[in-house]
Amino acid sequence: MNQLVSKEEIDRVAKLMRIEIDDHVVHIDRVQKMIEYFDILDKAGLESEELIIQEQKFEDLREDKHIPYNEKLIDKLKNYKNSYVRAPKMV
Amino acid sequence: MSLAISAVDYVTEIKNGNITVEEFISKTIERIKKIDGKLHAFLSVNENAIIQAKEIDRKIKANENVGKCMGMPISFKDNICVKGSKTTCASKVLEDFVSPYDATVVTKLKSEDAIIIGKTNMDEFAMGFTTEFSAFGPSRNPWNSEYVPGGSSGGSAVAVSALESIASLGSDTGGSVRNPASFCSVVGFKPTYGLISRYGLISYSNSIEQIGPLTRTVKDTAFLLNIIAGIDSNDNTTVDNKEENYLNDIDAGVEGKTIGIISQMTKGVDKEVSSATKNAVSQFEKLGAKIEEVSIDMVEYSVASYYIITATEAGSNLARYDNIRYGFDFDLEGYEFNSYISKARKNFGPEVTRRMILGGFVPSAGHAGKYFLKALKVKNKLTSEINDVLKKVDLLVAPTVPILPFKFGEKIDDPVALFLIDFNTVTANLTGKPAISVPFELSNGLPIGIQILGKEMQDKLVLQAAHALEKTTNLPEVPV
Repeated sequence: MNQLVSKEEIDRVAKLMRIEIDDHVVHIDRVQKMIEYFDILDKAGLESEELIIQEQKFEDLREDKHIPYNEKLIDKLKNYKNSYVRAPKMV
Repeated sequence: MSLAISAVDYVTEIKNGNITVEEFISKTIERIKKIDGKLHAFLSVNENAIIQAKEIDRKIKANENVGKCMGMPISFKDNICVKGSKTTCASKVLEDFVSPYDATVVTKLKSEDAIIIGKTNMDEFAMGFTTEFSAFGPSRNPWNSEYVPGGSSGGSAVAVSALESIASLGSDTGGSVRNPASFCSVVGFKPTYGLISRYGLISYSNSIEQIGPLTRTVKDTAFLLNIIAGIDSNDNTTVDNKEENYLNDIDAGVEGKTIGIISQMTKGVDKEVSSATKNAVSQFEKLGAKIEEVSIDMVEYSVASYYIITATEAGSNLARYDNIRYGFDFDLEGYEFNSYISKARKNFGPEVTRRMILGGFVPSAGHAGKYFLKALKVKNKLTSEINDVLKKVDLLVAPTVPILPFKFGEKIDDPVALFLIDFNTVTANLTGKPAISVPFELSNGLPIGIQILGKEMQDKLVLQAAHALEKTTNLPEVPV
């Protein structure tokens, strides 16, 4: 089988997605099967197909204004201390 | 008093004083207590439901204004936010998350005096087809508990099918309402993209997902749609439905309509499913519709396109789960910032982990041209092809799922076999079209649903055709 996705590639992508993967074998095998299936798109004959970009007029967008909420949402968060959310230290 | 009544009939019974809300809600809760240990449709049940029922009964007695739902028990898939309730997405990552606000659909139904009976099980973050990927264990098909109920809104389908809730709202990204509806013999509807607000639905793949009802009858879907459809300032993708009444003219039928059979969706299906589809087509002919076979070439590539687009959007949407502001109980102490987040995100289940890896891979530099951009082009071309076909026919028909419900564990190790379960349903999502699954036959006790798909904003015509087909059936009650 053509090794499309290597352990290193999965490690790299997992790191980008901030995921720790202990069992590479399970994920490599499955992700590889999924990506192999996606190769079907090579037969779709899309060479002349253009990508259509949807445009939305500025005036159609919701007004950019603060909508007050009747409760203090920050109180509902985890790790809330006084007036801030505590996060792990950055080294 | 039977729990096996439709939402529309429930309202009539309450209005006529034949039953009280408290009686119905109490009986529903008894039913949940009795059978849900086995079926596992629910992740949480509303403990205040009886108190709420008593209050609605009081309002009815006092001749006060009561909303259109008259206290009917409705459940919500556990990725739809209900204020003050856990909304877990069936994930350990959100195990302790309590939503601080209501989704728009919840606000609308609460304002019409629906009682939220509970939150239903699902595949984690709506990524799956069977509920086997729920972090809290799968739901079971009430028609045969050895079989999967479909997914990802499997808990909702089980709850409606097994008379644990009159109706339920799920979410449909690639068939997640229609697929379990088909497997559990209930109606499942994916509306036109933008018809129902997604505000308060925990995002998986924003560009194609929609909230949709699961009900016992097509009329019940129309009843709910009258309440939950329409524009919402909190969701800029919503469309104005001009306050359409979906129940009016529901009996219009299909006489004189042209219905296309999508040839790509009828090839390679199970023989029982193929036979049911032929029978459904024959019923439509008897009802006065003209039948034509149509071809939509891009359907062959729709599943690949769907998985690439959804994985990419999921990779971005799920980046927010760092467990710092909300999530599960895991102390910050002793961790560096990045290692804390990585450790916390280990609580994602295996399927979500794989789809996030895919979501990082397919749009990345060096791979985007081969995968992501091609997937977007398929979406464009598929939309153009189906629009052309829908200029010639009024509606399209196909089996909802190409195969019969299957046993637990049968396909879980084969990701491509699981992908293909969605083969007939993803087209409606990629093209923004409305589509419904109607319970049609049973084969050896296992349900088969028929899918009807229509033009954008012609949700009403889809419901009319579905109602006409539904009237030709005579299905038994669920055997639990």
